[in-house]
Order: sequence, then C-alpha cells, then structure tokens
Amino acid sequence: MDEVVISGLTKNFGDLVAVDHMELNIPGGTIFGLLGPNGAGKSTTTRLLSTLLRPTDGTAVVCEFDIIEDPVRVREITGVLPEEGNHTVYPSLTAYENLVYFGKLYSVPEEELPERIEELLTFMGLWDRKDDKAGELSTGNRQRLALCRAMLHRPRVLLLDEPTSALDPIAAKRVRDLILNLSRQYGQTFFINSHNLPEVQRVCNRIAIIDEGKILLEGNTQELREKLLAKQEFRIRIVGDIEKASSIAKSMDFVQEVKEEVDSIIVTIEDPTTNNSALMQSLLFAGIKIVEFAEEEATLEDLYLDVVKEGDV
Amino acid sequence: MALNKSMIVARTDLSMAMKVSYVKYGLIFTAAIGPIMAIGTVGLLVFTAANATDLLVIMQMVSPLMSPMLGLVAIIPASLIAANALVGEREQNTLEPLLCTPLTDRELLTGKVLSSFIPSIVLLLGSIVITEIATIAMFLIAGYPPMLFPDITGLVLLLTAGPLVILAMNSVMILISGRVSRVYEAYQVSGASVMIFMIPMLLPLVSLDSGGAIDPAAIWFSDIITILIASVLFIVTWALAFSKFNRDRMVSLV
Repeated sequence: MDEVVISGLTKNFGDLVAVDHMELNIPGGTIFGLLGPNGAGKSTTTRLLSTLLRPTDGTAVVCEFDIIEDPVRVREITGVLPEEGNHTVYPSLTAYENLVYFGKLYSVPEEELPERIEELLTFMGLWDRKDDKAGELSTGNRQRLALCRAMLHRPRVLLLDEPTSALDPIAAKRVRDLILNLSRQYGQTFFINSHNLPEVQRVCNRIAIIDEGKILLEGNTQELREKLLAKQEFRIRIVGDIEKASSIAKSMDFVQEVKEEVDSIIVTIEDPTTNNSALMQSLLFAGIKIVEFAEEEATLEDLYLDVVKEGDV
Repeated sequence: MALNKSMIVARTDLSMAMKVSYVKYGLIFTAAIGPIMAIGTVGLLVFTAANATDLLVIMQMVSPLMSPMLGLVAIIPASLIAANALVGEREQNTLEPLLCTPLTDRELLTGKVLSSFIPSIVLLLGSIVITEIATIAMFLIAGYPPMLFPDITGLVLLLTAGPLVILAMNSVMILISGRVSRVYEAYQVSGASVMIFMIPMLLPLVSLDSGGAIDPAAIWFSDIITILIASVLFIVTWALAFSKFNRDRMVSLV
C-alpha cells in the first residue's frame, strides 16, 4: 500500500514554480531518495509534505491523511529533519532537554520517554553528552541530535533533508545503518533529500531525480541500475602517453566516446564482446603498456548527470 | 485544544529565557520601576503630610495617577518577550521543527502568549504586593491608620484590565513576530505598540476634575470603561492574531 501519494502537487513562490505538478507514489517501507541540484525543489517538496507550506495546487496524502485537510494528523505521523538540521536544535537547552521538549509535544507516553531518549542518544553515540547544551555540541553531534528528535515519536514516515550532510564518515554510516534497521524492523517509510549520490545508492531502494520542480526520472534502484548497465564503459589504465592512447581509441569505428584521466582512458564501446580485443591489440601494437582493462562500474552519478543535463536542454 | 501542550511550549520558552541573565535581570529591573516610583511617592507624602486628613485627600488624588503605573510597567516586559516569540524561533532556526510538531495553530499561539503573559502577570502581582506591604508599613511607622495603595479602585483596575491589556498586547506582538524576519524589527514595532496599549490604562485620569479633586463616582465609571475597552481589545487582537497566523508565510520568510 502506498504511504505517500503525491497528486499534481504544485508550489509557486510568486512567478517561481518551485514544485511543478509532481506525481509520485511511495509504497510503505520504502526508502525513497529524491535527488536533484540546488534549487530543484527538493526541500520545498519536503516542506509541503510536512505541512509547513500549503500547496498552490494539487495535494498529497501521507498515510491516508491529506496534507491540506488533516495537517495535524500528518504532523503526528511524520518525523522531520529540516534542511541544515544541525542548526535546528535549541542551543540553550541540553541534548536531553531538547528531546524531552519534543517528546512531550509529540505526546510520547511519559513513562516511555526516558527510555526512548536513552536508546536513541546511545545509538547515536551522544549519551555521554546528554547534559551538554546543544549549542556547545559539534556540528555533527547537533545533526545527530536533530535526527534523534525526528525519530523520537517513532513516526510512520520520516522526511529527512540531507540527513548526513554534516556528519563524519563514521556517523554517516551509523545513520545509514539506522535508516536500514528502522525500515527493516518497523517498516517505516523514508523520504530522503540528498545531493549525496553514493549515499542514496547505498540506502535507497527507490529513487527520483528532480529538476526545476519536475520529476525527470523515477524508479526502483534495480531498474535504474539496469538502465545504467545498458551503457558500457571500460577503464583502460596504461603506462605511457595518454593522448596517444586516446587518439588511437577515437580512430576506431566502434568506439563511441573517449574520456581522458590522469593514468587512464575511459571508452564507451559498441558491442564490447567483439570489439574489446581489437582495441586492446591496437593499443599494444602502438607500444602502449596496458596495466588494467576493466569494465567501469556505472554509478547513479552518471545517470543523474545525464538526466539533469537532458532536463537543461 | 490541548492546554497542556500550550503550557509545555510556555514553560520551555520561559526556562530558556530565564537562562539568559540579561533577560532575567532586565525583567526584574523593569518591573521594579513601578514599585520604586509608587513607594517613593507614598513615602514622600506620608512623611511630609501635616495630618491624617490632608494625607487622605492627597492619597485619593494620587491613587488614580499612580496605580496604572504598576500596570504600564508590566506591559513593557510582556511586549518584549512576545515580540521575540516567533521571530526568535526563526532567527535561531528552530521554527521549522516546532511547526512540524502536531501543535495546532491555537495551541502554539496560546503557548507563545502564555510564555510572555506568565512572567508579566507574576511581575504585576509582585509589584502590587510589594507596594501594598510597603505602603501599609510606612503608614504604620508614621503613626497613621493603614491605607491601601493602590486603593480598591486601583486594585480592581490592575487585576482586571491589567491582565486583559497584557494579553491584548501579547496577541498583537505575536502577530507581528510571525510577520517580520528579524528580532530587532519586532522590537521596533513593539516599542510603538506599547504606547498605544498604555492609553486605556490612563483612563482613570479622567476622574480628576480641573482642580485635581477626585470624583469617586467617576473613578468607578472610568474603571468599568477601561475594563470594557481592555476586553474588546483582547478579543479583537486575539481573533486577529489567530486568523492571521500563517505557517506558509512564516516558513517562506525563513
């Protein structure tokens, strides 16, 4: 069953169309990643879903509650990490007091509140800092605290805007693990905005790419991977003259594209099963030493750049 | 509407405000101005009066002038705290998570109004109690029968119209606080608004005739008119603050 259904969602700020007739269905338990460049409409979409903004047109239904008709119910069942979440904690309250405050506002049962706070702070590695004022915590720790706050009332849908943006690699991994665990254990749905493509690739099982308020591409990660695999690139790492190797590759009919790097050329080859050996032979005959000839793993970044570039045209 | 949710907001706001020493001592200092003026004036009159009859006449003239002072001084901290209510959250980037909680508009507004009303009313009551105790003590020390200052008419005014004017002031300030983007803008507007809201509290002055003599019937009449004006002000400003509360606008200002 779809937990987030977005229908014709539109938000204008004066003449600027921030979100343009967006249509999306996100099944329950999905870890959904919304990718897009700055100003694409990602944060506006999150703000619309969290009822902070009112749509100009269209609507969205979160766990059967309409964001226009039932905003309070939507807020009860969603947890939100706003953009630059590390700045959104109360600096003069301690980490613990920040969570107590929001726990009460979200009506977390009083007898459960201390236990939940301890569990989350411990998991995020902040239990030892619970009595420190939030304003005295590092950027990363404040971000973790903001994440604890978003998860404290065990919401069915979590709207996270750049959840790992201010975190070091270890903390970022913890957050990714937490997202995966919560999704597995409680079937929570995640709606994640991110610029961080590798992170989205690791965590999300459904992805959409947005630009200028429009969804350019949407699908599950597997489908997108298959699209990526249709484009076959090979990395040829060599010892010698890169320019010479590049010109040899370009001269061959079956080579569609050549990119040069410091110690390698990246070639896109038509029918690689037949043509790879021919290219390799040509390079060897020209005296170029090949250190590695391997299929280049296509990443979401390639697809993202392709899609956003097409959108610009 | 869940009043307990509003109280959670009010309590947390107050506890955060009281952690800032200049806010805490600023409030106490501002609130102290009223009692200092009142006690100073009464002291001067008590210890320089020729006899009890003269003192009684003078006190009856002074009471409608001085009593509203205690209320006026309590309005100032209320306006400053309320001005900071929403724009302060915006400046420290905590507005979005607060607006994402299941608080209804009414619960949030009530919480914000209470967070400035509670300290103001505590300061007002504290000022009244201190002034009354000091007045009675000075009368006894000077050998006169004890007297209330503010007198009964002043107390009725301060305990009815006073809280209503504070609530009206807070409602307007919170409305403004949700519509400006910086705290200093809210403070600038609050300075101008305080002057307007002080006017009803000065109505008891009409009970003095041109010679400065008091008309007891007029003073009760002016009290009732002041209470009515304060009630209307409160109802209108609260309705205005509630109807104009706009999450979309506040977030778009961020």
